[in-house]
Amino acid sequence: MQKQALRLGVAMAATLSVAGPALAQERVPAVEIYTTTESYDPIRYESAFMIADAWRELGLDVTITPLEFRTLLDRFYSEQDFDAVILGWSGRVDRLDPQFFLGTLDSRQGSPGANNPGGYDNPAYDALFDAQSREFDIEARRDIVHEMQDLYMPDVPVVVLFHRDEVVAYNNTTFENMNPMAGEGLYSEWVPMEARPLGDRATLRIGGPQEPDNLNPLASTSVWGWKWMRLYYDRLVRLSPEVEPVPWMATEVEAVDDVTIDVTLREGLTWHDGEALTAEDVAFTFDYYMASDYSYFNSYLDPIDTVEVTGDLSVRFTLREPSAPFATITLSQIPILPRHIWEGIENPETLTPDQIPTVGSGPFVHDRYDRGEFMALTTNRDHFHQDEIAVDGVEFLIYADAEGVFTALQTGQIDMTAWRMEPGQIPLAEGNGDLNVVSVPDFGYFHFTFNTRRAPFDDVAVRRALTMAMDRERMVNVLLDGRGEVGTTVVAPVNAFWHNPFVERFEFDLEAARAELEAAGYSWDSDGRLQR
Amino acid sequence: MTRRTYLIKRVLQAIFSLWIIATLLFFLFRMGLPDPTAALITEGLNPEQRAAVRAQFGLEEPLWRQYTLFLTNAVQGEFGTSFSYRAPVADIVWDRLANTMILMLVAIVIAYGIGVPLGAWLSWRRGSRTDTAGIFVGLMFRSAPMFWTGMIAILIFGVGLSILPTSGMRTLPYDATGFWPKVLTLDFLWHAVLPVMIVALYYLGSPLLIMRNTMLEVYGEDFIEMARAKGLPERDILYRHAARNALLPVVTQLAVTIGLAAGGQVVVEVVFSWPGLGREILNAVRTSDFPLAQASFLVMAAFVISLNLLVDILYTTLDPRVSFR
Repeated sequence: MQKQALRLGVAMAATLSVAGPALAQERVPAVEIYTTTESYDPIRYESAFMIADAWRELGLDVTITPLEFRTLLDRFYSEQDFDAVILGWSGRVDRLDPQFFLGTLDSRQGSPGANNPGGYDNPAYDALFDAQSREFDIEARRDIVHEMQDLYMPDVPVVVLFHRDEVVAYNNTTFENMNPMAGEGLYSEWVPMEARPLGDRATLRIGGPQEPDNLNPLASTSVWGWKWMRLYYDRLVRLSPEVEPVPWMATEVEAVDDVTIDVTLREGLTWHDGEALTAEDVAFTFDYYMASDYSYFNSYLDPIDTVEVTGDLSVRFTLREPSAPFATITLSQIPILPRHIWEGIENPETLTPDQIPTVGSGPFVHDRYDRGEFMALTTNRDHFHQDEIAVDGVEFLIYADAEGVFTALQTGQIDMTAWRMEPGQIPLAEGNGDLNVVSVPDFGYFHFTFNTRRAPFDDVAVRRALTMAMDRERMVNVLLDGRGEVGTTVVAPVNAFWHNPFVERFEFDLEAARAELEAAGYSWDSDGRLQR
Repeated sequence: MTRRTYLIKRVLQAIFSLWIIATLLFFLFRMGLPDPTAALITEGLNPEQRAAVRAQFGLEEPLWRQYTLFLTNAVQGEFGTSFSYRAPVADIVWDRLANTMILMLVAIVIAYGIGVPLGAWLSWRRGSRTDTAGIFVGLMFRSAPMFWTGMIAILIFGVGLSILPTSGMRTLPYDATGFWPKVLTLDFLWHAVLPVMIVALYYLGSPLLIMRNTMLEVYGEDFIEMARAKGLPERDILYRHAARNALLPVVTQLAVTIGLAAGGQVVVEVVFSWPGLGREILNAVRTSDFPLAQASFLVMAAFVISLNLLVDILYTTLDPRVSFR
């Protein structure tokens, strides 16, 4: 409130002082860019300054306010009190389906706390969003997804600044066949199943500066919890490194019609405690999640109406409405829990760490978790995929920061890093003959979001011009050391199937930006300040 | 004032300070830190879902109710459940505190075990080159930031010579679950060498310099003159007579150091990935884990306050010059 009043005051004062007899135009209001603090993320922090410098050249009054990360999130999502914000979306594997990122521009996600804080509102876009989400034919869906990107780009409600490559490393003297995956780097669900030991030690050691919040499949809300749990809880379908659904616990997923999907389970599945795994467990898991207070999976579960057991090894899902991402996302993200263990647990979110059941049916078996120190798994020799698995276990070593992880990699305490390396560590790793540095393009992105509800960003021409005044090429070269790609649409180029390469691009061009502004009726006063 | 009323008064003061601190912590975190569910937005939770999580955490209750609940629970040693770990806060804090204290106490014992006699000895050789060198070394490690000395040590002993582990307190596989079985192993000792060394070097300066300087003051006292006149050997005068009288300020410093040790040396715990309370506090504040942050800081405060109390009480016995007035 106060800020707005202040801004109004400034604008009025400016008008009064500038308004000559011939000029009926008003100064364009000053804008404030929220970004992260330098210590949290120097890249986003520096980006803000690069953008502000160019904008000032265009005669805009710009201030930069770095905010503590969670305050920034709150300001952006919950309060929606901002002019422009630099933030990012991480490239979680389930976001390779375009549903999530396209949804961030859906006007129905514009309410506080939802994913479209910029408030982009385009009915045509919303209609296409619904259409693609119901379209089962993958080619037809792709056409709609491409059309959506083409549709929103000229409006630039959000600028995808860049995609940062995930640069990780592993020790080439201890393990081989380490294949990175887009968005996941080396810490994917496949690397532990594919890695081949070269030395005596067959236990794959992963090191990271982050650890799970908890290992409760009904309470964990961090990606670090699920990256680990997915190794010992199995899924009906897993997404291959090429991000195609691979039948896993399910041998068949058949769409009977738009809203009926039959899933057939593999024969002879067992739980880590030896009990047989049947369709009852699958139906129970989905019902249990849907009845729980745990909301982490809600977006995946939303399309489901009922789940019924139709045989020992078959389950029928009935959906509320057709949902294209159901087979890829829902079935590949929901872990199957043992009914005989969870059935009796009433308030699963209140379980203390030593009460949390860890029985799954995945390729690895939970062994131990000592907070702040270690997590360990052993290979499940009864798993249907076990012939392919060469490691005899997986260990995760928890460090306090990236520095500790890198020292551990250098000294051979770990075989691979779970998280990206610091820029300064990359040349060191490259110079070390024992280490292989792997660079993976990311489909997550850093974005610059305009508040389209607020002047001056409610004007498309301003957004377009200011986007042309963002030197993203330079950001990638200087801030990312060339390890990244300039952004285009919210669906990243690496996500080749869904990405539309033929959309309007906004190259850095201050002249074009000025022309755009002039064409929309903007001009500059004698001090070079932008006015309209 | 009698000794008893003095004691009662001091204890009451301590309890009062604790209450003030607890209150400050409670309100400070709730006002100063962002909503603990803010991070869930990036995980795709909508406002209703976040409100449900807030309700689970008890944050939808009126503030005064949260506060009274927090106080009544804290009095019973009950600190609630950590938001992110979903585990009883008391368990986490005690576990981390033990890890921190074992590191800090060993380092403090070493620092004072070496620093005190060394300081006495330097005072005896005052003005010599040894004295200058000793003061220099003590001051250097006291002023060098520990993340720097720590990283240099890691570089030399861990990466370069690769003779010492650089992080954590043990290696997999292990069976130990309890604290003592964990700590009483060669593996643990091995892991403790570098962090203990760095902390000890840092702490060394205080006892060294305090001891040296107090000794110099004591040398001027009459009873030292007297001892000399009696023809006692210089060594006896130094250690028996002078050193004993110079110990008091060192004891005060020791108590304060131990009190502050509860919070750990965050920097050391981070550099060596030591799973101590300091690292935990950092995480708790980062994730707005109110119950965990409150409890951790309260435990730290309780440590400082009770050790100060202890010193005050000890003084009444140790030093006859302190009277109850």
